[in-house]
Amino acid sequence: MALNDMIKSSGEWMRGTGPEAEIVISSRVRLARNIRGYRFITKMDAAERGACEALIHQQIQNAKIIQNGMYLQLHKVEGLDRKFLVERHLISKEHEDAQYQRGVAIGDNEAIAIMVNEEDHIRLQVLQSGFQLQEAWKICSKVDDDLEQHLDYSFSPQLGYLTACPTNVGTGMRVSVMLHLPALVLTRHIEKVFQAVAKMNLAVRGLYGEGTEASGHFYQISNQVTLGRTEEEIVSNVEHVIPNIVRYEHNARQTLLAKDRKRLEDRVWRAYGLLKYAQMLPSDEAMMLLSMVRMGVHMGLLKDLTLRTVNELFIFTQPAHLQKLTGKELEASDRDVRRAEFVRAKLNAIKGV
Amino acid sequence: MGMKCEVETCENEATVHLTEIREGKKHEMHLCERCASEKGLPGKSHFSISDLLHGIASQAQAQSQKSKRTRETACPNCGATLSQFQSSGRFGCPECYVTFKDDVQGLVEKIHDSSQHVGKVPRRVSSEISLQKDIRQLQLDLKKAVKREDYEKAAAIRDQIHQLEEQIKLRESAAATPPAAPALPKPERAEKTEKPEEGNPGPKPGGKKKGHSESEGK
Repeated sequence: MALNDMIKSSGEWMRGTGPEAEIVISSRVRLARNIRGYRFITKMDAAERGACEALIHQQIQNAKIIQNGMYLQLHKVEGLDRKFLVERHLISKEHEDAQYQRGVAIGDNEAIAIMVNEEDHIRLQVLQSGFQLQEAWKICSKVDDDLEQHLDYSFSPQLGYLTACPTNVGTGMRVSVMLHLPALVLTRHIEKVFQAVAKMNLAVRGLYGEGTEASGHFYQISNQVTLGRTEEEIVSNVEHVIPNIVRYEHNARQTLLAKDRKRLEDRVWRAYGLLKYAQMLPSDEAMMLLSMVRMGVHMGLLKDLTLRTVNELFIFTQPAHLQKLTGKELEASDRDVRRAEFVRAKLNAIKGV
Repeated sequence: MGMKCEVETCENEATVHLTEIREGKKHEMHLCERCASEKGLPGKSHFSISDLLHGIASQAQAQSQKSKRTRETACPNCGATLSQFQSSGRFGCPECYVTFKDDVQGLVEKIHDSSQHVGKVPRRVSSEISLQKDIRQLQLDLKKAVKREDYEKAAAIRDQIHQLEEQIKLRESAAATPPAAPALPKPERAEKTEKPEEGNPGPKPGGKKKGHSESEGK
């Protein structure tokens, strides 16, 4: 697999399949690991970073984890391609921005990604479409076991896996679920979700993780506690809260239909109309309009569109995706024109609406 | 559901909950979105980990002033200081967990409400732990044997102990020679635990030799 082939598919996290996929976009498990005998990334010199990256790269290959995937040395990858990987949720923004020797291993359908020399030496993540936390954890733990055969991790019997930041120490595990919650936002009930989630010691974030806005009504729910609980407990903690939020969103959608069907239809169709005819579409606006359309499709208000098409529009209208599709870098205003063109072409190709 | 905004003239529901630690004391605030933004607080219903970290790192700093160490005391393995940790929230190396143990213990407990790992253990470590357990048992048996002057038995047990210790050594040297890696320091024993099966009581007391990696001092 080559990086340029990835643009032909939508990646695992926006595949739009899996249980509860109409509301649960994706499930993700990541583990932080560090190699014994090396300092953490901020205190390494260039030679040490190089040696660490080379060692992990080598051992990922020896462990035969990424059979049909690829390994990218990010310091040799162009800026646009790195942004593309961020949009795919395969690397973090920090990993994109860093200036030193680092890498990422990407598994066959983008379900597995191993960041090398991020905040920790290893950040292993498994992404699954829809609500599949158990499955994601199973795969993640297996890859972790395989890697561990080849690498000696920094570990303390009391504090568990030692990580650069004490917020990750212990299991080094972050479990998160990406949710699409437009009706809870429209009915102004989303704050209640935040409250309930905070009470359970879980965190809510936007689409691209820490510090990002919840654009397109996407919210990411994740654990904060990583020590003093087993991995299974952490998974089930997050897992238990999700069906309640999903039900809450379903109810909010039904309430919108029952109380003010016309207003809801108006919102959805206006969003659809704008997407179908706009000549310039800024990224934020596109996300919001697509969010309404996505909800409309799921509720049967827009019959000829599929969730899959809407999901694809979400991912391919992201700035780096758009530029990869165009084959060159574009200024922001040119991107808005190109984005509008792309969306119009996609929507006008659909018959019957 | 929920509580009212604590601003008296306000009837809205409190959705912004802030916990601040000032001079070692916890202060809680419950506000609605509007009152929160009027007070210049971020209109979010959860505070970020970095805010928490900053609050508690200041607390750790106050604590360390009581002890002899200063904010500029450096970790012998990587040179990181407490003030660096406070501004970045990141440690410089695994050894920092030992160096700044007194400063971070409270922090770790606040974040996680626990100070004991119960999750996955690398296979290499778990077999080492069980070997050490066996050795400890054999040492007890050895004492008993000596006490009852069963020297034949004692000699056999001693040989067994040697064998197990040899196994641990082999394991460590096998693990410590990845191709492109700098020389690896001894495994850090981050904390001594009360639970005997997780400590490192073996024949080498302390077991806390500092690592000398080749890149040190560059």
